[in-house]
Amino acid sequence: MDFKLELGKLEENDIEKVLDLVLRLKKLNQEFDSIFEVNEDSREDAIKLLKGIAADRECYFAQVAKSKGKIAGVIVAEFRKRVFYLPPMEARILEIYIMPEFRRSSVGQLLVDSLYTECKKRNIDLVTAEFPSLNVIALNFYKKMGYREIVSVYGKQIKK
Amino acid sequence: MVLQNDQERTEHFNKMSLKFSEFYKGKTMILPKVPIRDLGAFSYWYTPGIAAVSTHISKDPESSFELTGRWNSVAIVTDGTRVLGLGNVGPEAAMAVMEGKALIFNYLGGVNAVPVPIRTRTKEEFISVAKALEPAFGGFNLEDIESPKCFFILEQLQKELSIPAWHDDQLGTASIILAGLINALRVVGKKIPDARIVLFGSGAANVAAAHLLMAAGFKGSNIIIADSKGILHPEREDMDALMLNNPWKYKLAMLTNGERRKGPSEESFKGADVIISAARPGPDTIKPEWIKTMNSDPVIFALANPVPEIWPHEAREVGARVIATGRGDFPNQINNSLIFPGVFRGVLDARSRGVNFKIMVKASYEIANFVEDPTEERIVPTMENWELYPQVASAVARATVDEGLARRTNSTEGFYKIAREIIEENRNAYRKLLDGNVIKKLPEMN
Repeated sequence: MDFKLELGKLEENDIEKVLDLVLRLKKLNQEFDSIFEVNEDSREDAIKLLKGIAADRECYFAQVAKSKGKIAGVIVAEFRKRVFYLPPMEARILEIYIMPEFRRSSVGQLLVDSLYTECKKRNIDLVTAEFPSLNVIALNFYKKMGYREIVSVYGKQIKK
Repeated sequence: MVLQNDQERTEHFNKMSLKFSEFYKGKTMILPKVPIRDLGAFSYWYTPGIAAVSTHISKDPESSFELTGRWNSVAIVTDGTRVLGLGNVGPEAAMAVMEGKALIFNYLGGVNAVPVPIRTRTKEEFISVAKALEPAFGGFNLEDIESPKCFFILEQLQKELSIPAWHDDQLGTASIILAGLINALRVVGKKIPDARIVLFGSGAANVAAAHLLMAAGFKGSNIIIADSKGILHPEREDMDALMLNNPWKYKLAMLTNGERRKGPSEESFKGADVIISAARPGPDTIKPEWIKTMNSDPVIFALANPVPEIWPHEAREVGARVIATGRGDFPNQINNSLIFPGVFRGVLDARSRGVNFKIMVKASYEIANFVEDPTEERIVPTMENWELYPQVASAVARATVDEGLARRTNSTEGFYKIAREIIEENRNAYRKLLDGNVIKKLPEMN
């Protein structure tokens, strides 16, 4: 990479810009599967959601990568209890998105590594990721990092 | 007024085309090129003697280039999904156009081109059919295939075939654009590494042109691509859709527009030296006031057909120095027919395994240098410059040797002699057929 990156926690003043990245991710999901049609009126709710995530550092890990003040990528993960299984905690990656200009430069890996570091601190040794089944880019990204399929979610639209 | 003339002229050509097509029922035919004095000749042209040739080729498939007509045969392959400005008219309808292309291949380049419109739905199916046809041909000319499918097909065939694959709507147009651009810059006294270029429109031709210009020494950072969604830059909203559906254009978003300019497409004109427009037909697609925002001595290529994005006189009125269009009734016609007959003559004569950007750059320079003293009104040759075709062919053939793609080597002069001889022999044979009334005279128009 020929750019310098700075990693930092998601702060409130980054939320508008980070939302643009998250919406790009959702639109990418839409490209793969129409069941993920993006709700164009969701901005207000999405900002509330991101604000909640940024504020709740106990339950969430939200990290941004910046280059010269510009947001290059973001990762959002949730720490979840596994009531019935061992290990008892997992970190679930909910969102990860890298801006086109910063792709193929290991920015994604860097963000995932920052989550691993946080997991170590919390003594969590299971990391999972959720993404649409048809999103082959996400599928390849995680497979390359050694992830395997562990849960399936099936869906069907029923007549109103 | 001009539009009306143009419409009248088009209607006239339409009538001629329909009438003549019905009269001749096809534009090319297969004739023997070997003597058949009596039917005994078939004992060596066909069975039993020909079995020896077949056995020879079976042991050495490469010898098919020397023992059969493969060396001079090109397939013009289309799925009929983007025929001329007509759109997806299907392979049967595409046949008429492909026959016309075959005629130009033969008349200007001495190439035996066979129209092959195919009924395929997916790009994978197209690639599979094309690969299956490879043993019969020395090259493939892909034609009139919708974008971005055409990029996938060309890239895959270039990887998988051991003969050249060329998509004329991409590579042919890009090469002649480059040839014209080289001379346009000579006319206005600007240098390639400094020139600020706008590619207006991001269809197959301009996407290929962007890649070719960079291969020719233009700086990616000095190129801006603009289309109906505005200036292309890495943060544009449609980037992820492009990454999935048109990775070639996606890649250009990273490689071009060094200053990361954003905004509507007309913003791209500010400070530009050259506009290469392959966009929506005009005449109001490019506004005169946009040209006023360009650097001094603007160069405008308005290549939409049948009506350029701006009429040349309008561009001239606001200061454009060099203006090129896709039409033959204005100076500086940017016409693929100046390039593909010579390119194919060259790759066939060298029995080339492929064709690449370096070879195309050579071809473009050959065309540019053919115009001895380029002027504002003459930056490219015209189709009547017969000498052009063997000259381009020899430069291309030699370039394939330098690139390690040729099966047969020779000097540029040697290749020139071969190309000139083939083209002349072909033209002489054609003239004899015409003079001997084997080819019937055109029917009278009522």
